[in-house]
Amino acid sequence: MPCTQRKLTTGILMNEMKHSPNNNGSRLATKEFTLNMGPQHPATHGVLRLVLDLDGETIVKCTPYVGYLHRGVEKLSENRNYLQILPLTDRLDYISSMSNNIGYCVAVEKLFGIELPERTEYIRTIVSELSRIANHLLWLATHALDIGAMTVFLYCFREREKILDLFERLCGARLTVSYPRIGGLKNDADARWLEDVLAFTDEFPGRVGQYETLINKNRIWLRRTKGVGVISAEDAINWGLSGPTLRGSGVPYDVRTVTQYGMYHKVKWKICTGKNGDIYDRYRVRMDEFHQSNSIIRQCIEQISEGPIMADAPKFTLPPKDRVLSDMEHLIHHFVLITKGPQTAPEGELYVPTEVPKGELGFFFVSDGTGKPYRMRIRSPSFVHVAALPRLCEGELLADIIANIGSIDIVLGECDR
Amino acid sequence: MSVVELVKKVLFMEVLQGLALTFRHMVSPSVTRQYPLEKREPFPGSRGLHALVRDAETGKERCVGCGLCAAMCPSQCIHIYTSEGDDHKKIVDRYEIEVLRCVYCALCVEACPYAALTLTDHFEYCGYTRDEFYYTKERLLENWDKYMAGEKGMNYIKNFWRPRSSDFAAPSPERKGP
Repeated sequence: MPCTQRKLTTGILMNEMKHSPNNNGSRLATKEFTLNMGPQHPATHGVLRLVLDLDGETIVKCTPYVGYLHRGVEKLSENRNYLQILPLTDRLDYISSMSNNIGYCVAVEKLFGIELPERTEYIRTIVSELSRIANHLLWLATHALDIGAMTVFLYCFREREKILDLFERLCGARLTVSYPRIGGLKNDADARWLEDVLAFTDEFPGRVGQYETLINKNRIWLRRTKGVGVISAEDAINWGLSGPTLRGSGVPYDVRTVTQYGMYHKVKWKICTGKNGDIYDRYRVRMDEFHQSNSIIRQCIEQISEGPIMADAPKFTLPPKDRVLSDMEHLIHHFVLITKGPQTAPEGELYVPTEVPKGELGFFFVSDGTGKPYRMRIRSPSFVHVAALPRLCEGELLADIIANIGSIDIVLGECDR
Repeated sequence: MSVVELVKKVLFMEVLQGLALTFRHMVSPSVTRQYPLEKREPFPGSRGLHALVRDAETGKERCVGCGLCAAMCPSQCIHIYTSEGDDHKKIVDRYEIEVLRCVYCALCVEACPYAALTLTDHFEYCGYTRDEFYYTKERLLENWDKYMAGEKGMNYIKNFWRPRSSDFAAPSPERKGP
């Protein structure tokens, strides 16, 4: 952590102490010290810059500066049609791009009023829960590494690799997947893929047990996390927190139960909550979500049946390739959709939130009836969570800021958009 | 704190349990792949470097220069220059992809009505200049010969050039037109 220009030589400090009016003999006089942390700091999980005012080791004031990863996704999408925006949403939260894609597609489908086939909904639920597991694995890995548990990092990446391989088999990309399409999916999941997902879910709970053996009761882990970064349920709601960060404070709120999407209403699962709202509880919530996601995937694979994967919405989905060159209407639709976007988009405004691994990801559209959104606003959980960071770490120790940043699970790509 | 808990604490039981786990992993088979030495074959449909499909009959590109891929590309990295031929047919003079700008979303493959463009599974490429990544038509056709020749390319088109009629439900009889 590079220091800002303050004279820090011992001589000067001693001098100030001697002449300080606060020095009443009982307590050493101290002076506030400004520390610049980031933007290039491995523990800030991206390019987050924090300016910390310190009194000794205690944080008096914490000011986050964001925007180092701003790429103007919202503005870019005003110049692209609804089909083209999809790869941009990969790059919001690049750890769980599948969930972002699905969040975007759900929002656009609600705008256009598209009904999805059942199989599509099941596959989307499976992949978004796989994405949640992959995200929480990376979160646990880096969070544990920040606090000092390196083995967990290696074990988590072992399982994450398997999920990324499954994604590559499904859609050809590991990280920036661009898998769902408006009104459907890029391609179908075959039976062998589903079997392999099932095999993964068989062994995964055991692996979670391994992580828990390593850190759940470890005294260093407990000392670093219990009672640190506490936020009450009321405060968490007032600060607009969402996802596991909110549920760690004991608020049973999950957007999966609020927005109607996926097959979450057809499977049995429960919302995991914590009690104390400290870092340990947020960790526990995510560990419990591993098991919940795992069980959702298993139930979906049991219930899934054969069927179409694209919705019957020819004004919004690309026509079948085998008919494009034999059918004039299909050819016209193909050209118009690609060059101009969906021409029958309804006018109006719409906000659709979905539950991504980090919290509530919302897409707000202002549609003027052309093939491009007039305005697309993204409500990203990381941005809101960064705003709550000063509330979490003011009054605590400098070392806890690393644990706090880890516990709210931010990705700066999504925060700065 | 009970006596059992105290004993566990004094004996560092939770740390020992963790250590036992890591020791067990030391003798279990390794899952790490030594990447440059050991390579995993990419899965079919893996999205890597681009290739223009070479038509088996004519030996030329299958592309007709309609420009849909360039229109669809979110990063606008495809440039197509066409001219009118002797028999008033469109000729693709230049077909160029700035590979460094590509985001590998494969929307161009989906946009192409002729299955004339694919993404190969070749992903390891590097160079010293930007020019090396400015792929012209000839180089893109070479990519097809190198990475997608024979069955492989046809299988890619069959499985990943979508959507197909089989992806859709049969249209309801009351609806007229597509």
